Amino acid sequence: MPSLKDIKTQINSVGSTKKITSAMKMVAASKLRRSQEKAEAARPYSSRLEEMLSSLASSAASGEGIIKLLTGTGNDQNYIVVPVSADRGLCGGFNSSINRETFKLVKSLEGNGKKVQLMPVGKKSRDFFNRVMKDQIIESFVDLNVSSTGYESALNISNKLQELYFEGKFDKCILVFNKFKSAISQEVTQQQLIPLDVSNSEKEEEKENSSNAIYDYEPDEETILKDLLPKNVSIQIFKVLLESDAGEQGARMAAMDNATRNAGEMIDSLTLKYNRTRQAFITKELIEIISGAESI
Amino acid sequence: MATISFDLVSPENLIFNDDVGTIIVPGKDGDLGVLPGHSQVMSSLRPGRVMVYSEDKNLVKSFFVSGGFAEINPEKCIVLAESVVELNTLDKSSIEKEIEELGSKESKESEEQLSIAKAKLEAITVSFYDKI
Repeated sequence: MPSLKDIKTQINSVGSTKKITSAMKMVAASKLRRSQEKAEAARPYSSRLEEMLSSLASSAASGEGIIKLLTGTGNDQNYIVVPVSADRGLCGGFNSSINRETFKLVKSLEGNGKKVQLMPVGKKSRDFFNRVMKDQIIESFVDLNVSSTGYESALNISNKLQELYFEGKFDKCILVFNKFKSAISQEVTQQQLIPLDVSNSEKEEEKENSSNAIYDYEPDEETILKDLLPKNVSIQIFKVLLESDAGEQGARMAAMDNATRNAGEMIDSLTLKYNRTRQAFITKELIEIISGAESI
Repeated sequence: MATISFDLVSPENLIFNDDVGTIIVPGKDGDLGVLPGHSQVMSSLRPGRVMVYSEDKNLVKSFFVSGGFAEINPEKCIVLAESVVELNTLDKSSIEKEIEELGSKESKESEEQLSIAKAKLEAITVSFYDKI
């Protein structure tokens, strides 16, 4: 049986943990709001770009040069998988679900005889894949801080990807990331980045048939498309980074909220135990005194 | 006189959104003057100035964009630009320094940056109309 002092120390330490977790929750909540605002602010650009692209996509007939970002290389032998995780832990299942999903994806692709390379973004996935599939990592990006560095960070990743793509290092690129559904729920999502998956944008095209009037293109459709495609890759990555950032804060908030609640419950039960032990101690002393007095 | 709605959008945020009189956009093959009722055009942009004039033809805002796209229809003009700075916040000496630094490097990337920086310098040195 633990002594009173032991229980007291335990209560104190749980109490200070509770303070930390509740502070972290507050921080995550305010960061979440900021990341959400960023994600919101980035939306007009990406949605416009997608619209433009969808109206241009049909004009890409030849599969040469930059247009390959849209039409693909014609192969699907070499894959590159980009898991997007957080740089820090203590956010529930946020990072591990990304790692698990990516691992599964890689294994299933390899099961189909494909060659898979990895390009982890974020410390948590880099560290994980450094342990399990070290030789498949070709590049990793950590400490991005997308909410402070902004678009720059996405550009780096996209430039590297395009460089590798045009060197013919891979045929398809798949992003695995946490899609921000609400402050408390994220959904692990796979998105094909290269070649561009037009099926999504086609749906949008249907939605706004009204804007589908005939445009004049200057200089011409192909030149615009050539400018547009690389930008689209960057902006897609940027969107994913922002979304993952918001998701991370949301996940951390939820995890810390849980931890705070658990700590509260633990303190309650420890206090109860403390009081019981104290009571038992007093009773025992009383019995000793009484029985001592009786024996005289 | 009629107005046209103008949006200037960067990846990070919406920079300008208002009804204006005229916008001058640096199209790839030359500047485009956009007035209300312009025909439908989609153009890619070169690095240069985006000038926004009010309905009574006074200059409202001027920006430098490093390239991007413009989508124009009779009621609306949307400029998507990768990096946008207000023209009057640019500093001539720092750009000149940048050009010097970039000029000494030799890579594809710095070449691109160099052309942007040169366009920047041009944008602040070449005169423009405060009223059209």
